[in-house]
Amino acid sequence: MAKEQMMTGCRAAAEGAKAAEVEVICSYPIRPYTAIMMELAKMVANGELNAEFVHGEGEHAQLSVTLGASASGARAFTGSSGVGVTYAMEVYSPMAGGRYPAQMSIADRTLDPPGDFGSEHTDAMSTRDQGWLLGWACSPQEVYDNTLINYRVGEDHRVMLPQMVCQDGYFISHIPDKVTLGDRSQVKEFLPPYRPIGPLSLTHPVSHGPQIRPDQGAPMDAMRAQTFLAVPKVIEEATADFNRIFGRNYDPFLEQYKLGDAEIAFCIMGAHANTCRTSVDRLRKKGVKAGMARLRWVRPWPTHQLANALGHVKAVGVVETSTSYGGAMRGGNLIHEVRASLYDLDKRPLVTSFMAGLGGETIWPADFDYMAKVLAEMVKEKKTKNYVYWIGM
Amino acid sequence: MAKELPGYGTINVPKDREVPFGAVTPAPVCTQNLFQTSNWRIVRPVKDDEKCTRCLICYLSCPDACWIYQEKEDVMEWVAGFCKGCQICINECPTGALTAAPELDFPDGVIRLEKPF
Repeated sequence: MAKEQMMTGCRAAAEGAKAAEVEVICSYPIRPYTAIMMELAKMVANGELNAEFVHGEGEHAQLSVTLGASASGARAFTGSSGVGVTYAMEVYSPMAGGRYPAQMSIADRTLDPPGDFGSEHTDAMSTRDQGWLLGWACSPQEVYDNTLINYRVGEDHRVMLPQMVCQDGYFISHIPDKVTLGDRSQVKEFLPPYRPIGPLSLTHPVSHGPQIRPDQGAPMDAMRAQTFLAVPKVIEEATADFNRIFGRNYDPFLEQYKLGDAEIAFCIMGAHANTCRTSVDRLRKKGVKAGMARLRWVRPWPTHQLANALGHVKAVGVVETSTSYGGAMRGGNLIHEVRASLYDLDKRPLVTSFMAGLGGETIWPADFDYMAKVLAEMVKEKKTKNYVYWIGM
Repeated sequence: MAKELPGYGTINVPKDREVPFGAVTPAPVCTQNLFQTSNWRIVRPVKDDEKCTRCLICYLSCPDACWIYQEKEDVMEWVAGFCKGCQICINECPTGALTAAPELDFPDGVIRLEKPF
């Protein structure tokens, strides 16, 4: 078993790509994800990784190169942050619709304005309906693990979809933490080689991305939706295998922390879950029955798992690190899906949301104390007063 | 759990409406029928074989490879299933052998298709 090393989330993503023996990498700089490409460039230059390293002339080109590489049968890797993620917007749907299981590693950053360098989930969340697999890590270790898990799930022939592996910029991407890298035999056992379906070939010529007729659009959409119905099972299998081979203990969809007897619960994803976890411990010492559900996947959304995990709780506070201006709750994105997931329960928890960690701000333990207070009041008054609370505003 | 939660339903795409996986089709083929793209054509090029010199400029200029030279019969063949009616060939033809004719004038005009767009 390899021993622990200290490394940032960016380095962990690069180590994951290296372990997966990616064959084509396409880069374009934007911080904070740039460090992933810096690490990979070094690995290629030093001969540790045998991959084609292509510099794109922008994120749209990056994704297009990755699409082409995947179509030719290569395991492809790319990434971006913030406005880079949105600059590539056009290519997301063709990549998912064409069923190219390439991977994009994202270190989250705010969108413009005002060009804030801080972390915020809005960049990757804005691509959530493009047909990609999408999920968040909460530590450099999980970034490394998710890189491998995502390739395994995405390249499964029941799935064949591109994957977005997200980590919070700076909080994860640039703060070193303990990471245990897998050894070659573990990776080999877990991740089979990429077997493309109908790749570009000189001997069996095929046409990728042809124009389809309007009457072919609906079946195409239905078939893409059908694929997503099959994904959860593949995620469960891959996570179980990963846990067994690498000795980890991931729940496939949700980290459930002290939810068993919880009366109030935070629903959160990404880096701030670490502060949330310790806040839950502190609150419990004070006698508050708090818990936490941390989402590992946003697409596919774990509807039933969330309903089962939070159904018995009295009040749920969704901690949002992304914006949905003018949305149903006038706050973030996650609350829409959390509330929808809980709607069919006989006894529904009260649900509100907290806008926190925007623009790269830290969510402090005191903020979680405040949120817990709001949730406790909701329980006492038996009603949701506001859909959303803006922390510190 | 108090009650069973709703499911996600089932999706059964009818066999005759299935689209190839990832829309990947065999290539190259002149007139494959999987993804015909001519159904927004408003006009089509009509050729005058007397004026046509078989110079192949239409073949070279067509963005969708809709002109094929049939060597045996020594004629240019038009591919109806993929011509979008862009009229580039009509503009490029040096002898004026091609003219634009409205789709409505033809019994097989795309406007008469059973599945309109």
